[in-house]
Amino acid sequence: MTDHKASVPAQTEGMEQDPPQVVGVSDSAPPQVVGVSRCDSAPLLWRDQDLRAVRVRGLVGALLGALPRTPRQNGRLGRPLLLLPEEERLLTELHATANANQGGGGVQLSLQVKQHLEEQERNLEEQRVLALQDRKSALLHAMTSHTGSLGPSEALRGRLEALHRSFTFPRGAMAVQLSTARAGLHHCHEDRAFLRAQQPITVQHDFLRAQQPITAQHDSKAAARYQVFRDLRGRGFYLTSAGKFGGDFLVYPGDPLRFHAHFIAVVLSLDSSLSPLDVLAIARLGSNVKKTVLLCSPGGFQYPGGAGGVQYTSLQWSGMV
Amino acid sequence: MADQNKTDTDLKFYNEVLSPSQLFAARSRSHKIPVRGQKDFFPDDSDEQRQRLEQSLNEHWSLISEERVEKLGNLVKATWIPSEKIVELQSPAGKFWQTMGFSAGGKQFLFPEEALYLMECGNVQVFYQELPLSIQDGYEKFLSSSTVRLQEYQVFGHLKRLGYLVHRFHPSSETSSYAKQLNLPQSRDRAGKQLKRKRSASPTATSSHTEAQEESTADRMEEDTCGQEGQEDKKRPESHLTISPETSSTQTTTASPGNKGGVRTWWMEDDVGERSDHQPASAASRWDFSSISFPDLGSSRERLSSCLVSPDPSLLPGALAVGVCDVDPWRTRINLRDVKMSSKEQMREEEKRRHRLDKDIEVRRCSNWAEYRQLMERRQGRRSKGRATHLWDGEVTPLHDPRQPIPTGELLDKISVIKSTHLLEGASRLQASDEWRISFNVYQPDTVADFKKSNPGKPYTRMCVCSFDGPVPDLRAIKQLAFQSGDVLVVFAVVDCGDISFYTFKDFELPTDVFP
Repeated sequence: MTDHKASVPAQTEGMEQDPPQVVGVSDSAPPQVVGVSRCDSAPLLWRDQDLRAVRVRGLVGALLGALPRTPRQNGRLGRPLLLLPEEERLLTELHATANANQGGGGVQLSLQVKQHLEEQERNLEEQRVLALQDRKSALLHAMTSHTGSLGPSEALRGRLEALHRSFTFPRGAMAVQLSTARAGLHHCHEDRAFLRAQQPITVQHDFLRAQQPITAQHDSKAAARYQVFRDLRGRGFYLTSAGKFGGDFLVYPGDPLRFHAHFIAVVLSLDSSLSPLDVLAIARLGSNVKKTVLLCSPGGFQYPGGAGGVQYTSLQWSGMV
Repeated sequence: MADQNKTDTDLKFYNEVLSPSQLFAARSRSHKIPVRGQKDFFPDDSDEQRQRLEQSLNEHWSLISEERVEKLGNLVKATWIPSEKIVELQSPAGKFWQTMGFSAGGKQFLFPEEALYLMECGNVQVFYQELPLSIQDGYEKFLSSSTVRLQEYQVFGHLKRLGYLVHRFHPSSETSSYAKQLNLPQSRDRAGKQLKRKRSASPTATSSHTEAQEESTADRMEEDTCGQEGQEDKKRPESHLTISPETSSTQTTTASPGNKGGVRTWWMEDDVGERSDHQPASAASRWDFSSISFPDLGSSRERLSSCLVSPDPSLLPGALAVGVCDVDPWRTRINLRDVKMSSKEQMREEEKRRHRLDKDIEVRRCSNWAEYRQLMERRQGRRSKGRATHLWDGEVTPLHDPRQPIPTGELLDKISVIKSTHLLEGASRLQASDEWRISFNVYQPDTVADFKKSNPGKPYTRMCVCSFDGPVPDLRAIKQLAFQSGDVLVVFAVVDCGDISFYTFKDFELPTDVFP
């Protein structure tokens, strides 16, 4: 047992009184609309540029799928990107989301199939040409490097002609793309047109009731989480989920790709009581993973504009002072 | 060429479609992922940091935006069947067939989560309405609350990428430990139960015997105990079954002679492998013993009525009608005599008794019955001498008599107040809940070599998928899941928006310090 006592001084960090600012998007670029597709009622982003657009706004999300280059490992995952409910709500409030689930209709099915087959044939032809070129240049390289200089051109031409005649490129050798996003398919023209729309369709989505059972307790918890999320994001922090750390959010000072998280944010309402055991448990956990625990309570004070602020209390182990 | 312009700008804006030259060039792509370097502690607006951030981001985007490119010859073609929620293979399956998928009706199928995983690995191309599905389509179509949920698929994918073999869990196809003890052959149509398969037409029967074989054993027993009265062609239970091989010649489904019409019997020793695919999927693997009555004719208590009622006609084949069974003639045939000891044995018993009394000196000293009685009383008293009467004579007595020898361990058990319990205690009477259910069976990676889909064996663990948003499993849920799982450990896979943590609850016994 170490001999320094665990005192938990309450350090309020509500110093900055500026209202939370909208971050990420510069005024010059038009606000990018991202297509959110719902899978089993979870908000997913599929298109590469949607992921980039969302990152620019400082929203990280979580990658769920297998990485195309190395699908059989869990260290680095690939698309889709799952958005936190708070992230989705933030985007919607900024009018930056559009529903990307298949609208249906549009181009007739038989036409789509015809287009697809035509595309395949074109693909095959072009690849055949490229493959032949590739073989020819390889042969040329081999022949010239072998002799050291431009050897007898007759023999070379003969070999090239023989190659040209006997060359086969079976259909099975053709490389095809397995598209990740639906808009990446040739036959999904209407999806692309849809997403280009400058006027985003605001999703009439009640976030508080998305997946969980409807309880008043849950609603207020979700609302509190959102307020804290918005406030921290407004201050420039990057946030991800922290379930496995026993908290609500992990708070990073910069992009998670380059920085470690500094805080574990735990959202509590101001009038809730916390038993000393719980305080100790969360403080212990924080010190074990070398992060400061941040107890966040929305509604602590009012910003000049009237917006509600968030009260922050950090917990840190300290020795005998 | 307005159309061409439009497609050009489209392609520029949505640059996820690869051109043929890009596809061709993809053959020589690297298959390695760059290693991530050390992170910085605090952003300090330095150029270095900005540069490193840019580099990390570029690396990140190039990996994320890469599209899957495979040779058409390496892809297995498949189609999605939404009505059955499965994927049917159109070209022969590859190496994955060893551990994934199932066959039914001569065709090969994959479950939606398996198909989606293989799509993500670039092994299978799934078509719907003759058009290829993107991974996004796969996620949206295959994952739902009626098939496999997104969170369950996350766990599935995570484990499969680590190399584990993951299969769906079916509570009905798990045999109880009692059934395992009896060594009952198990029904192995795990996939067949999912599909609504048409029953094969039952073979034409030449006699009522062959028809009767299609029934479960219980009904046969019932028929045997009743209905045998006055029917010459019905023989005793044992021979009833032995004559079946001859009459089963008309049946086409059986393979071995021991296989009596394809229905399980109590006496079947040989392996399940004899059974063909034509077995009706409804052969019960769990028998409801509460509805199967085995009348105890040998019971000496005259509680039984003199006749047994006829069985439910729905259980009987065809137009067979069985009347009420009179049990009295059976009872007379049952041997209720005492064990007949040979004369030698009887004499030996007598001698033993006499011996004890004769050898007793004190008994010999008694000259009359009164003295003998006194001796007996004294002996009784001696036994209870030393016992504190105030402790032993009241209503509440000590738990243990200190004069009785007892090992320390047993003594500790005897005087313990809190009895230790194990997880499965009382679990059988818990009702299954909708909230908590086991999703998958997980088998270890090193069993791949000799893994048989038809007989996978005991799984390594079973997975129950939940999330940090939901409640923590209470004791009731844990007990109920442990009971469902039998002797296999249940692991809770808690999904948190991309991360998965695994937790499990094990039985633990406090050690007792006992010196022998």
